[in-house]
Amino acid sequence: MPQLLRNVEQNWQIIDEADTHWLAEDDWRAGEPLQVGVDSEPDRKWLDASAIAVDFPALTDGRGLSLAALLRTRLYYTGDLVARGNVHEDIVHFLARSGFNVIELPEGKDLNTALKWVSPHTEYYQASVANPKPLFAAKN
Amino acid sequence: MYQYSEFDRSFVNQRVAHYRDQTQRYLDGKLSDDEFLQLRLRNGLYIQRLAPMLRVAVPYGTLSSKQLRALAAISRDYDRGYGHLSTRQNMQFNWPALEDVPDILQALADVDMHAIQTSGSCIRNVTTDQFAGAAADETIDPRPFCELLRQWSTSHPEFEWLPRKFKIAVTGAAQDRAAIGVHDIGMRIYGDDEHPEDALIDIYAGGGLGRTPVLGALIREKLPAKDLLTYTEALMRVYNRYGRRDNKYKARIKILVRAMTPEGFKAQVDAEWEHIKDSPSTVPAAELHRLRDFFRPPAFAQQTDVSTLLADLRLTHRDFDRWIQHNVTPHRADGYAVVTLSTKSIGVPPGDVSSEQIDAVANWADQYSYSEIRISHEQNFVLPHVAKANLFELWQQATAVGLGSFNMGLLSDMICCPGGDYCSLANAKSLPVAEAIQRRFADYDFQFDLGDIDLNISGCMNACGHHHVGHIGILGVDKKGQEFYQISLGGHAGHSGEAPKLGQIVGPSVARAEVCDVIEKILHVYIAQRFDGESFLGCFNRIGIDPFKESIYASAA
Repeated sequence: MPQLLRNVEQNWQIIDEADTHWLAEDDWRAGEPLQVGVDSEPDRKWLDASAIAVDFPALTDGRGLSLAALLRTRLYYTGDLVARGNVHEDIVHFLARSGFNVIELPEGKDLNTALKWVSPHTEYYQASVANPKPLFAAKN
Repeated sequence: MYQYSEFDRSFVNQRVAHYRDQTQRYLDGKLSDDEFLQLRLRNGLYIQRLAPMLRVAVPYGTLSSKQLRALAAISRDYDRGYGHLSTRQNMQFNWPALEDVPDILQALADVDMHAIQTSGSCIRNVTTDQFAGAAADETIDPRPFCELLRQWSTSHPEFEWLPRKFKIAVTGAAQDRAAIGVHDIGMRIYGDDEHPEDALIDIYAGGGLGRTPVLGALIREKLPAKDLLTYTEALMRVYNRYGRRDNKYKARIKILVRAMTPEGFKAQVDAEWEHIKDSPSTVPAAELHRLRDFFRPPAFAQQTDVSTLLADLRLTHRDFDRWIQHNVTPHRADGYAVVTLSTKSIGVPPGDVSSEQIDAVANWADQYSYSEIRISHEQNFVLPHVAKANLFELWQQATAVGLGSFNMGLLSDMICCPGGDYCSLANAKSLPVAEAIQRRFADYDFQFDLGDIDLNISGCMNACGHHHVGHIGILGVDKKGQEFYQISLGGHAGHSGEAPKLGQIVGPSVARAEVCDVIEKILHVYIAQRFDGESFLGCFNRIGIDPFKESIYASAA
C-alpha cells in the first residue's frame, strides 16, 4: 500500500488507496494513468490520462514544481496530479502550492510529519497554483 | 525603512517553528545529514571547517539600530563576541552551535529579521546600492523594488529548488554601486520616487563571477514596473526548467544563457512571459506606492552652514581631513552627508566587527543617522544620514573604537572572503594575504598617492571575494597541496559608471610569500607610467598588461 496524502476539498489527509500501475509515456494510452519525468514538456494529449504522476528524482530537483504549475495553469489539467519518487516530508508544502493534489511518500518517510508540515504558513506572499492571488491583491 | 506587518511577523515565526522541528528531527536521527543539509542551508546554516556558520539576511543591506543591537547580542550570546559583514551585505556568525540555531532565529524574528534563503540553491537576499535613498546621484530609490522582490521570492512555491544559487542586484543610481553586471539578474531602474508605477527597468541576466566569470546580457529594456514580478517569474521558470542540474559547476544561469545565447534565452523568456504577463501578480500602482512610502527619507532638519567650521577642523586635524575626503560621500539633502565606517584596519580580517563595535554603530545611528544603518558590499558599515555638524564628533568616536579608518576606496579597503581559515570550500587562505598587504602598504601617504584601487581577494574560484572585478584581483589556488595565488589586473565592478569589466590574469600564480612583492611591483609600474592624475585603472587601460607582466616575471625569465 503506498503512503499517500490527498487534498480533499482543501483538506489534506492521509488516505488508503491501492497502488496505481503508472505507465511511462511510451507505453501509455488515453484513459490510463501516466507517469512523466520532471524534464518532460507538457503535452495536450496528457489531458486524456486518468491521472498524471510526476516522478521526482531528488529532493532538490524543483523542475517538477514548474511542470505541475504548467499542467494546471497552461493546460488547465484538473485531474489527479501525483508527486512521487524522491519526495520529502519537508517539501510537501511546495508541492501542494504548485498544483499537486496527491503526494506519495517513499518508504521510510513519515506521513504524519508530512501532514503536519503540508501547510507551515497560514498565508504566503506570492501567487501560486493553490492561491492565484498574491498577498498584495488583498491589501490594495 | 520597511516595517514588518503582522503578516510578515507571523510568517517568520512560523518559519522558525518549522526549522525548530527540522533541527529536532535531525538531532533525533530522523533526518539524514544530506536531507538536513538542504533544509538548514535554506535557513542560513552552513557547516564550515571549524564550526557551523550562520548567515543572517540583511535585506538590501538596510538595518535599524534596534536590529543591529540584536545582532550584537547574538554575537555575544551565541558566538565569540564578533560578527562578519559579507560581500552580499549580510552578517555572518562563525561559531554558533547547531542546536542553538532555532533560538538564534527566534531572536532574529523578534526584531523582524531572519536567515531565510541566505544559502542553498534558491533566490538569495536581494542586494542594492548601500547609499540607496541618500546618494546624490540616485534618481529612484531601489529599495521598494527590492522589498517587492524579497516578498515575492520568499518561500516561492516553484523556485526554492533551483539548479543553483540565484542572486539579484538592483540599482537606481547613475553609478552602479550594486555591481549588477555580475549577478544572475541585474536590474537598473529608471524613474523617480514620486511615480514608481512609471519606472522602467532594464534587466540583465546571466552575469556572475565564480569559476566562469561572465557579464550579464541585457535581455529586456524598459520593463514597466508593474511587470517586474511576472517577467521575473517567466525568467526563473525558464532557468528552473532548463538550467543544468548534472554538473554543479555548470548550473548557474550564466551557463544556460551562454548555451542558449542571450537572444535565444530572451526569446524563451518572452514566450513564457506572454502567457503570464497580465496575471494577478501584475503589481498595482497602489502597492508600489505603499512600498515606496516605507522608504521616504526622514524629515531632515534645517542645518546651519558649518562649512567654515569644518574647513577649520580639517586644517587642524589631518586625519579628520583625510576621513572627510575618503569616507564621506555627498548626500542629496543640504547639510547632510553619507558616512562609511571602515572595518578595514591592520590585523583585523576585513568585515569582522566586535560586539562592542556593533553596539557603538547602533548608538551612533540613533544619535546621528535617524537610527538607520547600511552594510556595503565592500564589507563596511554606512551611516546614511549624518548632519555635517556632527561629522567631527562621530569621527572622534569612531576612531576611538577602531572604525575611523580613512581608507574607503584605497588599497587597504580591500574585499576579502573568509578563505581557508574558515571556509571548507577554499583552496587557500585569504586573510593572512590581506593582512600582509595591509602591513606592507600601511603608509597612508603612499596609499593616498595611489588613489582609488580596489584590491579583491578570494580563497577559491567561487569568487566570494569578487577577485575578477578588483582593479587588482588575487585568487587562491591549490597546486599539489601548496597554496598559490593568481593575480589579475584591470577588472572593475562598474563603479565608474562604465559597464563592469573582468580582470586579465597577469601570469603564473605565485607563492604566498611572494604576493606582497608582486603587488609592490605592480604598484611601481603604475607609479612610473601614470600621467598626472591618472587612476590605476585608467593607466592599466592605456598601457595594457605587458609592462606589469615584464616587471613581475622579468627576474624569473
